[in-house]
Amino acid sequence: MEGLLLLIAILLPAVGSLLVMFLPWVNENRNNRCIFVGAVMVLECIVVLLVALSGEQTLVLFEMTKDLPIALRSDGTSRVFSAVMALMWTISGFYSFGYMKHEQNEKSYYAFYLMTLASLIALTLSGTMVTMYLFFEMMTFISMPMVLHSRSKEAVAAGIKYLIYSVAGATMGLLGIFMLTPNISSTFFVAGGSLMTDQLTLPLAAMQAVILITLIGFGTKAGMFPMHGWLPTAHPVAPSPASAVLSGVITKAGVLCIFRMIFYVVGPDFIRGTWVQWTLLACATITVFMGSMLALREKQIKKRLAYSSVSQVSYVLCGVFILDTMALEGAFLQIVFHALTKDALFLCAGAIILKAGISRVDEMQNLGKRMPWTMWMFTICAISLVGIPPLGGFIAKWHIAEGALTSGTQVFSWLVPTVLLVSAMLTAGYLLPPSVSAFFGGMAQTESPAIREDAKDPGLLMLVPIGILTLAIIILGAFPSIMIENFDNVINTLLKGAL
Amino acid sequence: MTLVHNFPFFSILLCMAAGIFTSVFKARVSKILTLMVVGTVLVLSALTLRLTLQLEDAYPFIMGHFPAPWGNEIRIGRLEALMATGFSAVMFISLIAGFRHAESFVSEQKFNLYCIMVDLALAAVLVLIFTNDLFTVYVFIEIMTIASCALVVVRQNGHTLVAITRYMIMHLFGSGLLLMGIAMLYGITGHLLMVPLKEAVQQIVETGNHLGPLTVVIALITAGLAIKSAMFPFHGWAPDTYAFAPPVSAAILSGIISKAYIFVLIKFFYRVIGLEVIISQQITQFLFVCGVAGMIIGSIMAISQRDIRRMIAYSSVAQIGYIYMGLGIGTRAGVEAALFQMLVHAAVKSLLFLSTYELINVSGDRKRFHYLHGAGYRNVPAGIVFTLAAMSMVGIPFTGGFIVKLNLAISGIAIGGWVRVMVLLALALSTLLNSVYFLHTVVSIYRKPAEDHIYPETPKMPAYAGVTLFVSMLLVVYLGIGSEPILRVIETGLKTFS
Repeated sequence: MEGLLLLIAILLPAVGSLLVMFLPWVNENRNNRCIFVGAVMVLECIVVLLVALSGEQTLVLFEMTKDLPIALRSDGTSRVFSAVMALMWTISGFYSFGYMKHEQNEKSYYAFYLMTLASLIALTLSGTMVTMYLFFEMMTFISMPMVLHSRSKEAVAAGIKYLIYSVAGATMGLLGIFMLTPNISSTFFVAGGSLMTDQLTLPLAAMQAVILITLIGFGTKAGMFPMHGWLPTAHPVAPSPASAVLSGVITKAGVLCIFRMIFYVVGPDFIRGTWVQWTLLACATITVFMGSMLALREKQIKKRLAYSSVSQVSYVLCGVFILDTMALEGAFLQIVFHALTKDALFLCAGAIILKAGISRVDEMQNLGKRMPWTMWMFTICAISLVGIPPLGGFIAKWHIAEGALTSGTQVFSWLVPTVLLVSAMLTAGYLLPPSVSAFFGGMAQTESPAIREDAKDPGLLMLVPIGILTLAIIILGAFPSIMIENFDNVINTLLKGAL
Repeated sequence: MTLVHNFPFFSILLCMAAGIFTSVFKARVSKILTLMVVGTVLVLSALTLRLTLQLEDAYPFIMGHFPAPWGNEIRIGRLEALMATGFSAVMFISLIAGFRHAESFVSEQKFNLYCIMVDLALAAVLVLIFTNDLFTVYVFIEIMTIASCALVVVRQNGHTLVAITRYMIMHLFGSGLLLMGIAMLYGITGHLLMVPLKEAVQQIVETGNHLGPLTVVIALITAGLAIKSAMFPFHGWAPDTYAFAPPVSAAILSGIISKAYIFVLIKFFYRVIGLEVIISQQITQFLFVCGVAGMIIGSIMAISQRDIRRMIAYSSVAQIGYIYMGLGIGTRAGVEAALFQMLVHAAVKSLLFLSTYELINVSGDRKRFHYLHGAGYRNVPAGIVFTLAAMSMVGIPFTGGFIVKLNLAISGIAIGGWVRVMVLLALALSTLLNSVYFLHTVVSIYRKPAEDHIYPETPKMPAYAGVTLFVSMLLVVYLGIGSEPILRVIETGLKTFS
């Protein structure tokens, strides 16, 4: 059967999650559970990579109403996204085996961890707008228990904020889907868009407004201004490996939806050069700048990283909204590198919180002597995030800036690179001082008193995943051409009308 | 005519006969008898549905020997059979899962009386679904009003008595309006049976004689049924009645009985007056505005509640608003969406009332939200069912609620103009408001309880209740995933409905 592989890719983690809930053997002891969850995730990676390597496949699951098929399809975009997501998820999952030893309710954590993976993969493989919306909502709800994990008052408040923002965003998206459905020629996603521009059922301005609302709605998940408020509250309260995937991976789900709407439904030509594009670019640049400023002010390390996500994910969105080949390459690269970097940073932060017992950046003096591996990797990732060559972050930002400069998007063609530069400096301002004070002690000659007596590097189970991520940043940063070629294949299908 | 053709009539008769017989039995026997009767009605209705799916058209069933203009008849089509099946299924599930709670409110000696009322309510619902005669409608609406009053008032405390007094006043007022409407309609047409009535009404419209009284009739009957089904500005009686009734009664009242009134209204619009006349009288616009207002204001009221049962009761007002908005859109697609919402809401709301009661039960019978913290762990099946039902209320994909919103939106968009904008805005706003209070509640039943709350040991929920709740949960998911065949039945049924 064609497309069976797609179904397996979704069902494997879903069934795994149910087994974690209900199979007694899995819950007999911690070892069994970790082995089981690890096996499921590795298998899932293999399946997703098989999907990514095999050609385009389509599978219609069922018909929701007469003209609304719920269908899966693996095209270029979904292959890129699903591979990135599955790999990141697995790496953070292995880190969890070490980290979650010290937390309660491990069973429900792993069950929802796997279930969220299932809904994410389903989201990336969605072939129609409604399918995408279905799994988008599902992902919101299933990832919710990860935010709520500690059940503390703070976590509950954050969880509710997360839910309400997400539902509002998804409703805005759904509104757009409703209005767009009568105007597109194909229910399936079509590279380059399928909007019938010559026979709209709405006035042009109203259509543009609808598209803007839709994109801002989906932008909620990506933490885009003006719907960014939930992100810095919700991400840090989860356990660290969950924060890592929430920030590094799930934000990309919002990017994916925006990407699908622009390049597969509306078509880039419909919004190029209109006020919609200017508004979106303005929102994205505001977010880039604002996220960095807020991160600079924040002292809690995980919150600082969450604010940094607000800023960094909007780099991707800048790249997308410029609607130019070069910038899109940058956006794809930034998706990969931000996922890697932010994952690694959150995992480092988790290790620091767990082993050294500190959660504020100003308590890190001379931590580097106690946790050298963790702090070294933290520093490398920080440098990548700032965008200093030769690490990955630099290449991504270079492409976005270059694309913006040559794109002819009026004021934004110079504003975007400028904001990126300023934000890079701010990023250096909020990420490098922790490293500096950890290695050189800042003003103090002695260790910060807040650091626990027995602080040391975490075990291999936690160090190796961070190490893999850091290595990937270095290697992929040095040889990005492997990825860029693949991205170009995808991008060429998207922008072929324009170029 | 095969045996199956008689099943709707049998099921009505069975309920009424069971009502009589249970009066002489002891509590235990009458309970089993009632369950068996409702189960049988469910099977009979399902068989009728299967039959009507094979038939091209609806068929009339003459009661007694007098043919059309004089006799009394019922009329069975796909839509009627579907509704009967759906409602009796919901009733069956509610009774299995919740009958044992009613026992704690009703004394052993009087329990058979409670069973009578359940039987009578079901009989009345079935009659209202099937009947083709306007006066029968009135008679059984009265029976239903009294039966549901008794279902609520078995719980004898101050709250319930106040609520039921308000209920009786509003409902008798509604019945009065209805009766006046029917009497006037009889006066200007000379008929009570729906088929000749429609011809007479069409004549009135064509000739223009008595057009004024006809408008009054439509207004009276619509208002009467709107009051009885708790449409927004007339909803005052509903929240307290639902909140303070025993949980099974609340499930039956808000899940099924209020829907039966709306079904009668749809029947009145389609089969007696004709939709074109209704639209030309601008009744649909009135219903549309009330529906939208109910969706928004009902939700806002629900947010401000401190007692979880009242919150759910207010959400009923909002959900009834969806139905009236669907009717008010005025197209076939809108009515289809409204009918589907009737089924979904019947299933989901009864589940909500029942699972909420289980959650309250394990929290020492306290209804405020902060006592409910952690209730989802103390009774796991009820917690899961509540979560899923709440998601359906919000309209999360893969549940019935989403399909309802989808269909409402599609039918609104098809019209275009300001209706489209209103429908989409109302749906968006109401989704947001619903998510505020329902998801908040879901989160709060999974929170850590405060240290100083001590929860008494309560008897565990029996396995059969858990299984029933679980099965009905699958039903809600089925309504979300496999809605296509049901929607097709509604669509084809509505074509042969008038």
